[in-house]
Amino acid sequence: MAAATLSFEPVRIERDVETVARPSLSYWQDAWIRLKANTRALISLYLVIGLLAFTLFGPLIWRVDPAVQDLDQISVPPGAGRDVTVVNAYTPWQGVTATPLPGEPGRTLAAPAVLAVVGEPTTRAVRLRWEPVPGAASYRVFRNIFDPEPDGALGLPIGDVLNPANVSFEDRLDLKPLTYYYSVVALDGSGAQSDRAAATVAVTRVITAAEAAQKGLIEQASDARPGDVLQLQVHPLGTDYLGRDMLARLMHGARVSLFIGIIAPFAYVMVGILYGSVAGFMAGRADQILMRFADFVVALPFLLFMILFRILFNVQPGDDGIYPMMVAMILLGWPAAARLVRGQILQIREEGYIGASRLLGAKTNYLVLRHMIPNTMGVILVTLTFAVPSAIFTEAFLSFIGMGVAPPTPSWGSMCNEGLKTMLTTPHELIAPAALISVTVLAFNLLGDGLRDALDARMRSTE
Amino acid sequence: MSDAAESTSPVAAPRLDVSALLQLLCIGGLGVAVLAVILWVLAQWNEGGAGEAVDLATGTVTLTLAQEPPQMDSTRGTDQVSFRILGHVMEGLLRYDENDGLVGAMAERWRIDDQSATFWLRPNARWSNGEPVTAHDFVFAWRKVVEPANASQYAFILYGIRNAEAVNNGEMPVEALAVRASDDRTLEVEFARPVPYFDKLTAFATYNPINQAFYESTDGRYGADADELLYNGPFVISRWVHGASLRLEKNPAYWDADRIQLNAIDHAYITTDANAVLNLFKDDKVALAALNAENLEDALQQRWEINRFSTGSVYFLELNHRPERLTSNYHLRKALQAVNDPAELVYKIIKLPGNLPGNSLFPVWLKGVHGHFRQEHPAPAHTPDEAQGRRYLARALDELGLEELPPLVMLTGDSPSANKQSEYYQNVFKQKLGIDVKIDRQIFKQRLEKMTAGDFDLVAAGWGPDYDDPMTFADLFASWNENNRGRYSNPALDAQVDIARSSSDARTRMGAMAEVQQMLYDDAVILVQYESGSVYVAHPRVQGLVRRVVGTDPDYTNAWIAPLGAG
Repeated sequence: MAAATLSFEPVRIERDVETVARPSLSYWQDAWIRLKANTRALISLYLVIGLLAFTLFGPLIWRVDPAVQDLDQISVPPGAGRDVTVVNAYTPWQGVTATPLPGEPGRTLAAPAVLAVVGEPTTRAVRLRWEPVPGAASYRVFRNIFDPEPDGALGLPIGDVLNPANVSFEDRLDLKPLTYYYSVVALDGSGAQSDRAAATVAVTRVITAAEAAQKGLIEQASDARPGDVLQLQVHPLGTDYLGRDMLARLMHGARVSLFIGIIAPFAYVMVGILYGSVAGFMAGRADQILMRFADFVVALPFLLFMILFRILFNVQPGDDGIYPMMVAMILLGWPAAARLVRGQILQIREEGYIGASRLLGAKTNYLVLRHMIPNTMGVILVTLTFAVPSAIFTEAFLSFIGMGVAPPTPSWGSMCNEGLKTMLTTPHELIAPAALISVTVLAFNLLGDGLRDALDARMRSTE
Repeated sequence: MSDAAESTSPVAAPRLDVSALLQLLCIGGLGVAVLAVILWVLAQWNEGGAGEAVDLATGTVTLTLAQEPPQMDSTRGTDQVSFRILGHVMEGLLRYDENDGLVGAMAERWRIDDQSATFWLRPNARWSNGEPVTAHDFVFAWRKVVEPANASQYAFILYGIRNAEAVNNGEMPVEALAVRASDDRTLEVEFARPVPYFDKLTAFATYNPINQAFYESTDGRYGADADELLYNGPFVISRWVHGASLRLEKNPAYWDADRIQLNAIDHAYITTDANAVLNLFKDDKVALAALNAENLEDALQQRWEINRFSTGSVYFLELNHRPERLTSNYHLRKALQAVNDPAELVYKIIKLPGNLPGNSLFPVWLKGVHGHFRQEHPAPAHTPDEAQGRRYLARALDELGLEELPPLVMLTGDSPSANKQSEYYQNVFKQKLGIDVKIDRQIFKQRLEKMTAGDFDLVAAGWGPDYDDPMTFADLFASWNENNRGRYSNPALDAQVDIARSSSDARTRMGAMAEVQQMLYDDAVILVQYESGSVYVAHPRVQGLVRRVVGTDPDYTNAWIAPLGAG
């Protein structure tokens, strides 16, 4: 009915004629997209997050005190057997005596006849007895973990029995649940050895009920009776040379490493930004003076200053050297960042938009904070991510040479130092901390690499 | 239509694909290979530096030293490394032979009774510059030892000589020391009290002679370098590169030079690193290597012949008894003592055969009246008791008026085994008593300095015998002994030591020393750790090596090199 009147209507003003089809990207969003496309950087990012979680939340889940020494499981590799048999308390052994038999002069000594084990061979004690040898002045007991045959390598001289009336020996030295090859030889007055009597002994690991209760393997001592088989504490990554849990130590060690590794670079990069931007902005003579001072600081030897700071801070022996280490890093680490930032600022202050801003009456503060520093952000972030691994490495190195943490506080560097001594026999003590240092340093480096690509403004402009 | 272009946007960053990985691996592999070649070339180049472990042609044996000898002035030396070198380059009146018997060295005969001793020197005893060794050289050296200005820590070992103590305390002039050279070849000594073991004492390094003219010509640097010493022993120091090496060569002026078969002993390496020493031994670079718990398995795998011997030393944690220290509190010391478990330390931490859990300052090998001292006077029985320890600690805190004990400082050496033991004790005291312990690791020289200054609460210390009599241990904690680093002072103990050193009746002496043994335990003067032993591997061609409890160890003066195939 009123269709005709509707044939005309005002043309709507279309404002969004030139709609941008894709959403507008800020600098950071763009950088993030680019970073996501970089698989290496992304994996590294997850690794870094994982490491932070490992050290911050790990100890909440794995509630083992890193200082507790489990002396029943010293230097055990990951996945070692944990069976332990409950026995009665240890009672001293009087040994076996026999009347020494006179020997015929001029005859070589015979080997002791019969070498027998008295009682059960356990990790607490292996008790041996043998038949007296005519003419023996003393006996010597050897123990080997390899078969002495065929070349007669008797192994460790585990004990001397100087009284020939005594024909027994109790071995308590560092027994492990292994098979041992014992040998006993007789010695005459001049020290000449007889042939050996041999015994092969398979040792079982034991514990008393009271010890088991103390270690928390059972509720109370009455819960287990001799002969029961229990399981010792679990150590997923094994234990170190004093029976301390490697996993717990790695978690706590990471705290020191990452604390230094993140706080110190943050601090010195901040100092560097301030210093560099001031130098860059003032330019000219002031810049010359400031940067020559920075050159001077670069020339100072780090290790020497580290030692000086220890004295200055009055670090008593046995105290942690963490704070002097950090102060030394901050005081000597900033020039690199300062140089980079200064270079950027020198470049930016000549750009047209700065001039425009200045003409519009912008104050120095505004220019620096609004225009200059944000535009150097990429450089700063990249410097930071490269500074982190080098700081972690410095901490590890200083702890390795004993200038870092004090025992029993672990750090990856000091753990490497300890593990190194037993590298051949128990490699897990070295491999775990060394691998963590390597992975962390690599992850931070690759992440830094990725960030540099992602934040590079020039790559953005080629889009 | 622009879809295809979209997918190749410049956002696509380099991806880690297989070829990139391969490339990375190739570059990495190449890098490792280049590094290996460089290291190999360097190693080859270095080969010429030090010789083989034994060299028959030149009669040279190559060895290692744990550290550079800190004090080669025999009047002031206190440590085993200095004594080991001194034992090769110097000789006193008497010496120990290869069967540990006492034989004449500078003295050709001697006579000792309750009041005095006389020594007749050899006419052919000479210094390395050709001058004869005279009785005056002994008088000069012994006066130097007791001279207060020289501050010798071993001055007490001369206290058996009349007036020695008074001279050392500055109450008499040094000329009052009752030692006289009646002529160039006769030395007369008067005793303050009977010293039945004086012959053994004269074999000890502090009793060595010193040439007065030479001593004064060095202007206070005597013993500081190879050419600042004059030698009268089997060897001379021919080259001493401080901190790096020390070479001994046969002394042609030595009176008994025919006895010495080696031409040179080259201490080509100075290191405490046991693994490095073992690797040197493996490469046939050194002729002797001590084993430690970490490399025992390696040695077993090599199927070497392993030897052992008792070093005779006793190791203990010495407590600081200076009144300003917490450890001067009796109940605190008893608390620490109650949780000390030497058996656990030896069997689970040290893990080396040859060491015995320690029960007493007096080791088991010491001779008593007839048999062994420890069989006649058993050590006080000690059973670790945590609950008792906590009770003692509660009383100690009460007496000290403290809620909680401030951390104790434990001074230790810087060797790996010292680290391990100190960390073990740190944990024992923390877990069982709740006491925090700070570990103060110091190099040997620095540790000695801090021990002397009393800058510690506990210190890991040891004592090796100087002569073959229980007395060498008994007077260690007498109030006048400079080696009593904790400055323990107890008139009752001093009285017993006095009885033991002045009586000539063996039974009375041993009884008094048994009292000392009991007092040391009852008053918790020290926490005994272990009696040390050593396991080592020696080059099969080096014959005649002597290892000793008392005297120079290891002693190469009687050693020779067996020809190939004979060893």
